[in-house]
Amino acid sequence: MSRHDAVTPMMLARRRPGWLTRLWKTRPPLVIGLCVGWLVLIVVAALGAELLAPYGYAQQNLLNRLQPPAVLGGTAEYWLGTDNLGRDVLSRVIYAMRTSILIALMSTLIGATVGTLLGIVAAHFRGWVDDLIMLLVDFQASIPFLIVALAVLAFFGNNFILLVVLIGLFGWDGYARIARGLVLSTSSQGYAFAIRTLGVHPAKVYWRHVVPNMLGIIMVQVTLNFPEIILLETSLSFLGLGVQPPGTSLGLLLGEGRNYLATAWWIGVPAGVVIFLTTLAISLLGDWLRDKLDPNLQGKR
Amino acid sequence: MNLAFLMTKLVRGLLTLLLAVTFVFIVLRASGDPAQMMLADDASADAIAAFRERWGLDRSIFHQYLTYLAAILQGDFGTSFRDGRPALTVIAERLPATLELGVSALLITLALGIPAGIIAALKHGSWVDQATMSFTILGHSIPNFFLGILLILLFSITLRWLPSSGTGSFWHLLMPAITLGTAASATVARFTRSSMLNVLHQPFMRTAKAKGIPHRRRVIGHALPNAAIPVVTVVGMRIGGLIGGAVTIETVFAWPGVGLLLVNAVNQRDLAIVQGIVLLIALTMVTVNLIVDLTYGWLDPRVELHTKRKAKA
Repeated sequence: MSRHDAVTPMMLARRRPGWLTRLWKTRPPLVIGLCVGWLVLIVVAALGAELLAPYGYAQQNLLNRLQPPAVLGGTAEYWLGTDNLGRDVLSRVIYAMRTSILIALMSTLIGATVGTLLGIVAAHFRGWVDDLIMLLVDFQASIPFLIVALAVLAFFGNNFILLVVLIGLFGWDGYARIARGLVLSTSSQGYAFAIRTLGVHPAKVYWRHVVPNMLGIIMVQVTLNFPEIILLETSLSFLGLGVQPPGTSLGLLLGEGRNYLATAWWIGVPAGVVIFLTTLAISLLGDWLRDKLDPNLQGKR
Repeated sequence: MNLAFLMTKLVRGLLTLLLAVTFVFIVLRASGDPAQMMLADDASADAIAAFRERWGLDRSIFHQYLTYLAAILQGDFGTSFRDGRPALTVIAERLPATLELGVSALLITLALGIPAGIIAALKHGSWVDQATMSFTILGHSIPNFFLGILLILLFSITLRWLPSSGTGSFWHLLMPAITLGTAASATVARFTRSSMLNVLHQPFMRTAKAKGIPHRRRVIGHALPNAAIPVVTVVGMRIGGLIGGAVTIETVFAWPGVGLLLVNAVNQRDLAIVQGIVLLIALTMVTVNLIVDLTYGWLDPRVELHTKRKAKA
């Protein structure tokens, strides 16, 4: 056995196809194609809101208030109808997608970066640093984040930057836990040890060797975290405590629509459908990714 | 029960609580002058002076922290500036409604999630399994406030069967409890299924079969107890989800519980109420986690031997 052990670092040094290549070679099923299609659509709509939206999101037309959607007896001018101020629901949904997706993307980036860094730091230094970080992880995991977010917004008042940072801190514990575990397991592997004995600075070892190896698993965590972040932002906005008017967010639209459920359900429901389809698409995509990227799980689930 | 195991868990819980109190303290101090933050805008100079004296605001920050800690330990969360009553009293009034909703939702979660997960695992790969898995993915993805709104549209506005808001009867409770319970039951079903699948393929299950133990007894006597451990954990975690979810659901259905109180308090910046609720929820969560950990140790004696941090799923 010891002879095989001696060979391992060299075998690892030979390039195995990366996770992207492996992913590329497997044909995704139709559902996954639909999910990707929907997500592309969302991103395109968010990026090109000005070009795609037929009206401005705040553009009022008081003569055309509470028009039903086109297929339900409304006019072709307003596909999804208009709200209580005569604003085009479709345009508002498109602009709201931009806000919600933008916040979710920025927050995910913050959470993933902060979490992964702290995880690496915990695993690198061990000892009390590790204990402290893991205590924070447990703390974060033990209290519903929506409550913490509400409290912070109550104390500091609401502004966009605070909102993004706050939402960004949601889910960092997951990344930290994963990064810590991965660092602990890789540092016992031959290749990391080999590089370190060559005298490479630890930071470089992490950046060039450990982090690239983590990316696949971190991506899977992103697909778990991203829908939750969208739900957190939309929940806060729905409660009137997230994105503030005149801005829009999918949650805010749903919250506004709640007051008109009996007379004009189309104000809120489209935004709800978009949130639902988006989180659904990412969850399905994440499940599929997890199956593809983690060979240990294959056939087990 | 192993005493060292119990103590480790207890100390951890207390540390979490201390962290929560410290967190609220830091946020409160970092956000501005506490006297201005906690008191109403029209508070008299006397009241402000009394407040400063009471919390030792002219002393060192460490002294203020200790004063704060001592007050919290005595259940003094300050007074609501809406009606001047102690925050704890205001919150306590709302507890029964939240408990009623939370317990009903939890019952729905368990009644729906656990059987669904077990049946899906036993019929692995069948259409029942497929349907359950689809349900769990849908239930996990739909925002609970949107589900609530859809239910209101269907049952209150279109069919006119159920009241859309308020409290008072079983019919009022039905929709909020279903909304809150469904998402959680999706998670529970998923965990129960994978936990059962895991256990069903263990060697001891094969041994039991070889010994000629009938299917029913194998499932109930051998598989279920072993599959219960991860399920207990996830149910404990979902209780946190119920509390967080109650905030949106109570708002959707105008259910007069702690969640609605919190949203209103945040809107009006009634900070005594906000800090009271946050700390109360922290206490609840720590207690629930402690119970889960102890149940865990009771269900699987091996756990007590490894009191080290366990990897959470």
